Amino acid sequence: MGVGTAARYTEAQANEHNPVFHDTFSKTDAVMNKDAAPSSAPQKTFDPQKIERPDPVLLKYYALVSLAAGPLFPFAFIPLLCKYITLRYQFEADGVSMKWGVLFRREINLTHRRIQDIHLTNNIFQRWMGLANVAIQTASGSAAPEMTIEGVLQTDSLRDYLYAQMRGAKGLDRDTVADEHAAAEDDSVLTLLTEIRDNLRIRLRAEPGAVSAGITGSADSIGFSDSAGSAESTRGGGMPE
Amino acid sequence: MNSGHQLAAAWVYRGIWKRLVRWFRIPDQPPELPAGTGQNVQAFRPSEGFLGYLKFQFWIWLVVSDVVLIGLWIALIVAQPMIGLLITPLALAIIILPDVAIYIAIHLRYDTTWYLLSDRSLRIRRGIWLIHETTLTYNNIQNVKVTQGPLERYFGISNVMVETAGGGSSPETGGMGPHVGRIEGIDNAEEIRNLIMSRCKLAMDSGLGDPDDAGQSTKRGGWSPQHVAVLREIAEVVRG
Repeated sequence: MGVGTAARYTEAQANEHNPVFHDTFSKTDAVMNKDAAPSSAPQKTFDPQKIERPDPVLLKYYALVSLAAGPLFPFAFIPLLCKYITLRYQFEADGVSMKWGVLFRREINLTHRRIQDIHLTNNIFQRWMGLANVAIQTASGSAAPEMTIEGVLQTDSLRDYLYAQMRGAKGLDRDTVADEHAAAEDDSVLTLLTEIRDNLRIRLRAEPGAVSAGITGSADSIGFSDSAGSAESTRGGGMPE
Repeated sequence: MNSGHQLAAAWVYRGIWKRLVRWFRIPDQPPELPAGTGQNVQAFRPSEGFLGYLKFQFWIWLVVSDVVLIGLWIALIVAQPMIGLLITPLALAIIILPDVAIYIAIHLRYDTTWYLLSDRSLRIRRGIWLIHETTLTYNNIQNVKVTQGPLERYFGISNVMVETAGGGSSPETGGMGPHVGRIEGIDNAEEIRNLIMSRCKLAMDSGLGDPDDAGQSTKRGGWSPQHVAVLREIAEVVRG
């Protein structure tokens, strides 16, 4: 987490906004995966697309939670065990889906851009085991989170990945800065244009033809080549006063 | 005397904090938000008044509960002197230990509450046993509420509630529903509200729906620095 991941996300977004780049990148990725050759850069970076199953630690956590039920341990544990065994995640470029269940099957699909809130909760046992619940909320009316991702070890990375994909966080370092610049430039453009208009109006009113003379004069002073300057000046001189 | 007392309290508290960080894996650092270049992230905690507010509630609770407990204990001593005297240590433990624990918990709660505001999003982290961290972007904010009770007014604090779309309430968020970011106990609520509202207004597509922002970002502005340079030259020229 930190600078490295932030850089990586902006890069990912740049790719997303540039389909050509994105294609080439994903192709190279695919080639590398097919060869299964360790590339020069070790794959320490977090790649959510590779997450399909929860980590085995989750089963331990479920067992621990079920112990709280005391003599009813099997009744608490078996559903959780079934959930653990059947739980499948699928992180795609524009959405997440998870499904589980043996008798009653559930599958949840949502797109990144509909994510409203991300809640990361971890109780003390989860912290000991390095787990956390990453709960994703969309704008639907239910109080329970629409999707709770459990059993991912790099929860901070996952949360940051989802954050970078969610609505309103896109183009982390582009939009606001661009907005500010755009606002500043708009202002300067406006002042310049009004200045030009006013100057032109004043000059044209005072002495018609002065504007063209002014243009040639300043062109000389800025430092055009002699021939061009002379041509301009002759042309300017040729203008009827 | 007072300073020594305070130093000792601080020393004990630091020791507890270290144990918590090590054994209970409480993050020692404030949370972070991934921010791009040119963005500033502002991290802050509730104001001192919030601590005073929590402690005031604590003292009221302490007086009421201990009066009841001590009353029960005295009644027991009067009725059954032998049993009453035998359970003295137990009674004292029941009367004193929860108070100490709660007092420490108030300080821990205060120290583990963090609010982060970046240019695009806000993140709220709180909790000791159950650490709860909420991240939401300004684009998703539907409204911002500021609330203040009379006691909170006395301590000069107020709460800013940032609400996103969707309903429902759940006990784990204090009956407030999961679509709320609570910035509690701050003394500059006006400032924070204005900051959040101004950034909400900056986002062109606030609220629900998702216009195609890919096309929008390229169109935005329309004046490149080159344009401005050329126009500046023209202005020079005309000025003479």
